[in-house]
Amino acid sequence: MSQDDNGNKGIDLDDFLEFYLLDSQEQVEKLGSGLLQLERDSDNISLVNDLFRSAHSLKGASGTMGFTPIVELTHAAEDLLDKLRQGKMMVTNEIIDVLLAVTDRLKLMLAQVEKRIVLSLEYSDLASQMKTLAETGALAERRFSPPKKQEAKKEADAAQIDFSLTSAECQVVSDALLVGKTVYQIDVILASEALMKAVRAVMVIQRLEALGTVVKVLPSIEEIEAENEQRFSLLFVTTERPEEIRADVLEVSEILNAKITHYSLSESPAYQGKVKEESLDNPKEVENTQLQQRAENQVHTIRVDTARMDNLINLVGEMVITRTRLVKIGNDLKDQNQGDALVNSLNDANGYLGRLMSNLQESVMRLRMVPMGTVFSRYPRLVRDFCRKSGKKIELVIKGEETELDKTVIEMIGDPLTHIIRNCVDHGIETPEQRLEAGKKETGTITLDAFHEGNHIAIIVSDDGAGLDIEKIYKIALEKGLIGEREELSQREIANLIFLPGFSTADKVTDISGRGVGMDVVKKALNSLGGLIDIKTKKGEGISFIIRLPLTLAIIQALLVAAGEEIYALPLSSVVETLLVDNSEIKTVGGLAMIQLRGNTLPLISLRQKFDLPNSDRKADEVYVVVVGLGDKNIGLIVDELHGQQEIVIKSLGDCLNGLPGIAGATILGDGKVTLILDIGSLIQDILINR
Amino acid sequence: MAEDQMVTFSLASEEFGIDIMKVQEIIRIPPITRVPKARDFIEGVINLRGNVIPVVNLRVRFGMPLEKETDLSRIVVLQINGKVFGIRVDGVTEVLRLNSESIEPPPPIALGMDANFIRGVGKIGERLLILLKPDQLMDGDVINEQTA
Repeated sequence: MSQDDNGNKGIDLDDFLEFYLLDSQEQVEKLGSGLLQLERDSDNISLVNDLFRSAHSLKGASGTMGFTPIVELTHAAEDLLDKLRQGKMMVTNEIIDVLLAVTDRLKLMLAQVEKRIVLSLEYSDLASQMKTLAETGALAERRFSPPKKQEAKKEADAAQIDFSLTSAECQVVSDALLVGKTVYQIDVILASEALMKAVRAVMVIQRLEALGTVVKVLPSIEEIEAENEQRFSLLFVTTERPEEIRADVLEVSEILNAKITHYSLSESPAYQGKVKEESLDNPKEVENTQLQQRAENQVHTIRVDTARMDNLINLVGEMVITRTRLVKIGNDLKDQNQGDALVNSLNDANGYLGRLMSNLQESVMRLRMVPMGTVFSRYPRLVRDFCRKSGKKIELVIKGEETELDKTVIEMIGDPLTHIIRNCVDHGIETPEQRLEAGKKETGTITLDAFHEGNHIAIIVSDDGAGLDIEKIYKIALEKGLIGEREELSQREIANLIFLPGFSTADKVTDISGRGVGMDVVKKALNSLGGLIDIKTKKGEGISFIIRLPLTLAIIQALLVAAGEEIYALPLSSVVETLLVDNSEIKTVGGLAMIQLRGNTLPLISLRQKFDLPNSDRKADEVYVVVVGLGDKNIGLIVDELHGQQEIVIKSLGDCLNGLPGIAGATILGDGKVTLILDIGSLIQDILINR
Repeated sequence: MAEDQMVTFSLASEEFGIDIMKVQEIIRIPPITRVPKARDFIEGVINLRGNVIPVVNLRVRFGMPLEKETDLSRIVVLQINGKVFGIRVDGVTEVLRLNSESIEPPPPIALGMDANFIRGVGKIGERLLILLKPDQLMDGDVINEQTA
């Protein structure tokens, strides 16, 4: 089956196209991250092997599908990687650069494939670059295996085995060498029909022990027994001559051959301090251990189309809604027919169903969880490219990659995070000269961390750069009229001013402060996810962006509140407590209503005012206040009534209504009515910033 | 000769037509939940078999005086570019075929309404049908609002 890349896609291939794309995109990702790793760890031959394999399988798959440009591009990359693999070339920055450019081009090509359009991207530039590199580089120093070793290999058809010596064993060998003994590698081949091969091996060892010291046997006696190995090798230290050793060994019956060669410790990796590392002399063994590792690392997973999964989640959502209806019916019946046994058993069944539903829900929700690492993995490249361009030295430290977050959040968190990190590398971290001048390490550090924090996930991006200039920000905010002159703001409040929309539009501001480019967009994006962002900074010492996000977006526990006739849902994870407050306790400070709560002032918002509802006509002495908080920021919401808590399924309001202030989404209640879900993040941020 | 199928509905004293291919269904008015801070012509959101969809009040959209809901009031659910939303109308009258020859371009001063919403005027005997171009009923202005 082959196919032209000029658009006439066969129906058969279309089925495979999905698989091809998934697999290829994965391989390209692997190539990208592997290359970054290789840049730091240029001696890692197994990494080069992995990269080669990725390129190779990409080439193979693209060949089957008939995407010639991809085949040719990966072929050239494969050639280059092959040179590296064979040690004919050294890993250089140019090579990494061009290979990274290849991964970028491949991504674009795959995107074209995905859109079912003709592959039109030029690739000959990269291909010829790689070719030149491969040709010129071949003359360069051979790094991975010195020629001396290769010749030695040709002479003796049995290659020197890496015995993976421990440092103690190394010591034995080098001590023996010092007193003038010789180290031999003895390769013994047993007759294939020999029974109890391990016993033969033990007999050989016993005989040898009479002549010297057996340092190590490979494979071990246990392995010989288990695997019924026909061959084994020994590392032997002795003063005897090889012929005598050989004669002695051959006296053991059923031994076909024994080959004795000098063993040079200096070529053993163990001697160079790399104890028990994969040796380059024995690629086969390396391969084997890698295969083994891979088998162990294999997770039993299946790929499922997200549409199917979303469908499942929707169905569970519908069931949750229906159950709340059942509960409502059950309660109504109970009110009408007190003590009816049938009604009671209905309510019991409802209760049991409820427990089952929450288990089911939790399991389904877990399906949607994706580790943070999938987002984080794109940033090393971003930082690296920037460093190469600007000459800054930045190390990116990534932690908490395994922290899991809802798929929707993961998908949407990428861009805001990119924005923040770009800000850090661009403006936060100083040039090496500036850093040295300021008495800091030449290399700046950006740390990316994610961890659970109660019902939320915290993501922290911090750098050890210049930090924000609080005074300048204050001055600019004053000039622009974003804050009043008499307002007293804490350092942190001033830092948070950069999230104001006005701050981003003026070029003058970004020139002076060097920060605040589109930070309001970042805030908006996070708010729409029900998240919150905060800044901690100290001039000259760096900055931390702290992002808090809800764990999941699909089904949540909510508190229902009423404002007038309207009912709103509050995510229970953000509700701290509910209070009944006497009207006389509410004080107005600077146009903002507040109460004193256990010694702290709590700013209040009236839901009626916020949502343009007329004030209540009945004058109550007391009002309900729901204290909501995200992170360490709390506010009070004044509502008319509390309607209890309930599970709700979050539904999007659709593109047309997304991004409305204070509203995160909608849900459908048991009676079939739509209820809006309040966006606590944006309510809090509004009150704290627009004071 | 091309023929268009139209769903016709009444709004105040006018009769409108809309391409049947854009109409998903026609429903009675369910409970509508107001959405605070949304544009004024968005009457609210409704539950359409488990999906939340917005409803545009066409009287507000076209600057007509508001009327009380009657038994005839309906929501015409439209699907345009993959987006589903409803328009509230005074009543749905019929489904008819319209010769494309009998469609005229909108008059320059388009009946006091935004010409963006009007595809043309259809003539069936003495009846005049305002043919609606619903694509921008929802989005056009919303984008402006968000960037403002």
